[in-house]
Amino acid sequence: MSGNPEQERPSGVEAAVEAQHVREEVLERAGTAPAGDPRDHLVFADELVAGYVPEVNILNGCTLTLDEGEVVGIIGPNGAGKSTLIKTIFGLIPVRSGGLSLRGESIANLAAHELVSRGVGYVPQTQNVFPTLTVEENLQMGAYLRPKSFAARFDAVAELFPLLAQRRRQKAGALSGGERQMVAMGRALMMEPSVLLLDEPTAGLSPIYQEEVFQRVKQINATGVSVIMVEQNARRCLQICDRGYVLDQGRNAYTGTGRELLEDPNVVELYLGTLAKSA
Amino acid sequence: MRRRLVTVLLAVITAILVIPAGAVADDQGGETLNGQIRKPETVEGIDITVYQGSEEIGTATTGPDGEWEVEVPGPGAYRVVLDQESVPDEYVVSERPGPEHDEVQVREGQQRTVIFNLARPGEEEGGSSASPSEPAQEAAEEEPAQGEGTPEGVTTAPGVSSATPFGTKVVQLTVAGISFGLVIAISAIGLSLIFGTTRMINFAHGDMVTFGAMMALLFSTGATFNDVPLVVAALIAVVLGALLGIGLERFLWRPLRRRNVALIQMFIVSIGVALILRHLLLVGFGGNRERYDEYQLQEMIRLGPVGVTPRELTIICLSVLVLVAVAAMLQFTRIGKAMRAVADNRDLAESSGIDVDRVTLYVWGLGGGLSALGGVFYGLSQSVYWQMGFHLLLLMFAAVILGGLGTAYGAMVGGLVIGLVAQLSTLWFPSELMNAWALAIMIVVLLVRPQGILGRRERVG
Repeated sequence: MSGNPEQERPSGVEAAVEAQHVREEVLERAGTAPAGDPRDHLVFADELVAGYVPEVNILNGCTLTLDEGEVVGIIGPNGAGKSTLIKTIFGLIPVRSGGLSLRGESIANLAAHELVSRGVGYVPQTQNVFPTLTVEENLQMGAYLRPKSFAARFDAVAELFPLLAQRRRQKAGALSGGERQMVAMGRALMMEPSVLLLDEPTAGLSPIYQEEVFQRVKQINATGVSVIMVEQNARRCLQICDRGYVLDQGRNAYTGTGRELLEDPNVVELYLGTLAKSA
Repeated sequence: MRRRLVTVLLAVITAILVIPAGAVADDQGGETLNGQIRKPETVEGIDITVYQGSEEIGTATTGPDGEWEVEVPGPGAYRVVLDQESVPDEYVVSERPGPEHDEVQVREGQQRTVIFNLARPGEEEGGSSASPSEPAQEAAEEEPAQGEGTPEGVTTAPGVSSATPFGTKVVQLTVAGISFGLVIAISAIGLSLIFGTTRMINFAHGDMVTFGAMMALLFSTGATFNDVPLVVAALIAVVLGALLGIGLERFLWRPLRRRNVALIQMFIVSIGVALILRHLLLVGFGGNRERYDEYQLQEMIRLGPVGVTPRELTIICLSVLVLVAVAAMLQFTRIGKAMRAVADNRDLAESSGIDVDRVTLYVWGLGGGLSALGGVFYGLSQSVYWQMGFHLLLLMFAAVILGGLGTAYGAMVGGLVIGLVAQLSTLWFPSELMNAWALAIMIVVLLVRPQGILGRRERVG
């Protein structure tokens, strides 16, 4: 809100209206995403329709693929359905129509704990630790389905997050937001997942912790875990992602490699905002 | 935020409900005077006559087990006389308390026990009774389990009468408070864990306590079953209590949750379940106060200044053992940790691969079994009647809120505090107010520490 408001406001409104038109055109165009073969991808979400309230769909036909070893970012404005997409993939929200498969096998509407046993880990955006349990117990809950592998996995996870070994006996509820995020990601890694779903892992963290989280995600990916992450820090996310999806109104608006999206003037104009332009 | 709302709601409901519970007395009639000649052994054929003023009310003769009972027309003061002629030659009537009790006060609905002792001639002076300076205490010590004739919901302490010195009273009431608090704690763990794992307030928990007490009564004294020992009957009751909990979860609460019934509706449903269960028990067992056959007339063990019946001591020890076992289970076992995890964050537990429905089922089984055990203990130290659990429920709510909603350890601490406050308040205030004091303490603690003693503040942001 700098400069002269008398002059900027009308042009701002016009720009917004125009941007809305462009967004709708893009969505029209993107509506027919090419259907692929589920067996070619690690995770394949095809034309997903899902929502919380009956008859109100948040996802209106979202398509997403994740291949072995990839980091895929999902960005988009508030209410685009980013978190809904990741929750639907993890079975927390029922699939109303469309296909959802893991290595070619349908996982639509499987209970979350069944997905965990198939190698999918999920870190929710908020309330992602057990606050009255110690850090170690949090990680034990992560390995709940394979208690015998706990010791070995604990060492592996502690190598990624040395903090977890230091704070082993502390209650998770006493940790700071950034430390909790480490516990949450560590917990999700205890089952040695092949797919890790991260829902806005940097939300509410200080810039230093945000950067640490992005670095950790790259490290986790380097150990062979494929990652789907939803991010509000769109620009930084696209920098570390192999591919990105821009969602809008529950549909794919743009898809491409991180670099392509970062350089696409429409994406910059419509979704990355002024911060990205000036950077 | 929702946790705080629930806390306030529960506190208000509890406060409202405690008033009728304290005030309503049971109009039962059926006052009797009774006793058992058993010192030095049970003696048959001794005549005991009860007078009111000069009018003879009735006479009873001791049976083969030394027991006698005379029905009296109502509350009042009676004179009870043992006919010395009927005492066999090998015994004499002990000087304490002698062959005659003058002013035996019978309260409404009370079945008052009167003590007569016999002795072998010549042995009397060196007899096993307590020091001669404490005749009043001696008589009180052998009083069986209390509760009869007292207002409903009021728990009496053994070995305390108006003649007891203050210091002894404090110690005695502390012991009674610990015992009562432990019973509340055992019963309330399930209530707290169920709230923790499902966010549901189980109003039927008190009636699950009654269920346990009555099942033990059914198996230990019922004519239909061949009088199994109370210990075995208690174990059966615990198993049945666990099955009741599991059944309720599996066939009522889980389907309701699956259909996304809101918590407030579930709360009302649980009130319905409570009413149904309570009145089924009323129909099945009648409205009378009953007692277990075993462990009733007991002599107090003196541990320094504390006098405690073996029954009470056993209840305390067993309760502590059970609480330690439950705590160890929650702290160290895989399923225990999972229970705490689900109580902490149900969605995250599901996302971690925990089968939350199964854990909830175990929680109901554990809660049902523990409440049944609490019922047996409560029935042993007081008496068994159809509303006993309902009256305990208020104190369980108070314990759970006081300790911190949703944590088992909170229920334990809260139970002890409530039990102690309730008993010790009778030092200065009428015993009818004991539950009110317990709830007043709850309110004070909540004003200072809204999350309860062991509760955790919700961290914002």
